[in-house]
Amino acid sequence: MKALCVEDLNVHYGTIHAVQGVSFPVEEGEIVSIVGSNGAGKSTIMWAIAGVVKPSGGSIRIAERPMPSKPHEVVSMGLALVPERRRLFSALSVRENLVMGAYRRRNDERVEAEMERCFQLFPILRERLKQRSGTLSGGEQQMLAISRALMSDPRILLLDEPTLGLAPLIVETVMNTILRIREEGVTVLMVEQNATQALEISDRGYIIEAGRFIKSGPGPDLAGDPDIQKAYLGG
Amino acid sequence: MFLQTLITGLSIGGIYALMAVGYSLVFSVLNFSNFAHGAVIMLGAYVGLALATKLNFGFGLVLAGSVAGAGIIAVLNEKLAYSSLRRRKAPSLYLMISAMGCAVFLENLVYATIGSRFYAFPEFFGRQVVTMFGSSLSLLDVGAFLFALTAILGLHLFISRTRTGIAIRAGVCDMTMCSLMGVDLNRLISIVFLLAGAFAGVAGVFLGIKYLVYPTMGWVTNKAYIAAVIGGLGSLPGALAGGLILGVVETFVSTYVSSVLRDVFSFSLLIAFLVWRPNGLLGIDSEDKV
Repeated sequence: MKALCVEDLNVHYGTIHAVQGVSFPVEEGEIVSIVGSNGAGKSTIMWAIAGVVKPSGGSIRIAERPMPSKPHEVVSMGLALVPERRRLFSALSVRENLVMGAYRRRNDERVEAEMERCFQLFPILRERLKQRSGTLSGGEQQMLAISRALMSDPRILLLDEPTLGLAPLIVETVMNTILRIREEGVTVLMVEQNATQALEISDRGYIIEAGRFIKSGPGPDLAGDPDIQKAYLGG
Repeated sequence: MFLQTLITGLSIGGIYALMAVGYSLVFSVLNFSNFAHGAVIMLGAYVGLALATKLNFGFGLVLAGSVAGAGIIAVLNEKLAYSSLRRRKAPSLYLMISAMGCAVFLENLVYATIGSRFYAFPEFFGRQVVTMFGSSLSLLDVGAFLFALTAILGLHLFISRTRTGIAIRAGVCDMTMCSLMGVDLNRLISIVFLLAGAFAGVAGVFLGIKYLVYPTMGWVTNKAYIAAVIGGLGSLPGALAGGLILGVVETFVSTYVSSVLRDVFSFSLLIAFLVWRPNGLLGIDSEDKV
């Protein structure tokens, strides 16, 4: 089954045609990466799939069902987004951020169980539970952002620049975590500027340039592709 | 004399705080000063007045009716006057202008239908007094202060402990992410206006009993606005602290200095805070939001 199917997606911001007819499937259990330079339209695709940005054309289907019209209903389709720059609820404690991630859950025991699952991935969060999330280090904030998304027990996880601004050691932790999350049966769609590392752990990858996919292929093959350099240098 | 003045100040301050809470709640979520809040307080007072005089309800029922009435009016106000602006992502200045329009509209609606007469509530508490430390204090003043304190504490617990309360604070941080967590923002904003309206209803009844009920009584919310700024717009403990400080300072100025200078003093305080400490005493540090 397709976890996600994007068909001829178009997004306009006023007169700017940010995403121009992008199509791709994500099969269940896959890790798929979209790489490309700043402003190529990567984040826009993510926000469109999350239901925040309204496409001007095309269709998005999550688990073979059409997108709901309201952003708050998307989480119930089993999709969660870790946005660029994390966007935590910075005035809220770590615990409250996690509780918000499971907002749709009425069952406290399930919420506790999900929280326990996050602590398995990131033990440090347990120690930080009562701390205000805005005071965490960058790496810890990213761990919390991923955990907050996992709290809704998604079938597909969207990660927008999960390693942006992180120290190399933490980047590796994040990449390893993504692999572990996939092992637990979650499908991952990722957008990265850290192209090589992202593609190496991906089943498939797409290179995007000025709102269009210019190349696709198995992740590790694409990682060594000269077009990668071209896409980043705006060749 | 000192204790009496203090209690009078605290009771007025308590009412200011009840009003300031409504301002602060809406400001923190939608980032605009809801100047229609005063009109909601005024309508809440009229609802209470109608229940007390037409239906001869007792104080408890009058208060409950006014809370419900003002709460519903506040929600309707949001649905009719602000939600379409929100949907179009209008700048918050537009919302503020719309709020001012609502205030004028509602006031004139009352002029046109009920009229400009001043009404008094029936004497619920008569001139009952409680004696404390050798001073006789008005039961209404003591009651208003304690009620305001309890209600705001209750609201604080709601906001900090419950799932809905956490969602409101999450919305204050980041509305878009809040909706991605599965929060229906329209519903959340309605809840915020319901809460602000409920507190407006309490304030309206206390104001009406202490003074009189008339179409422009809502303009006393100028003082609530000052209280909210002193405490820090957007902060609930700040609204309480700001309201009490302003009430006590005002009462002492009018008792010991001059009652004519009272408002001069209050508004000077507002300007001083806006210039030197715009975040107020307990306001959210705006650096945090960067």
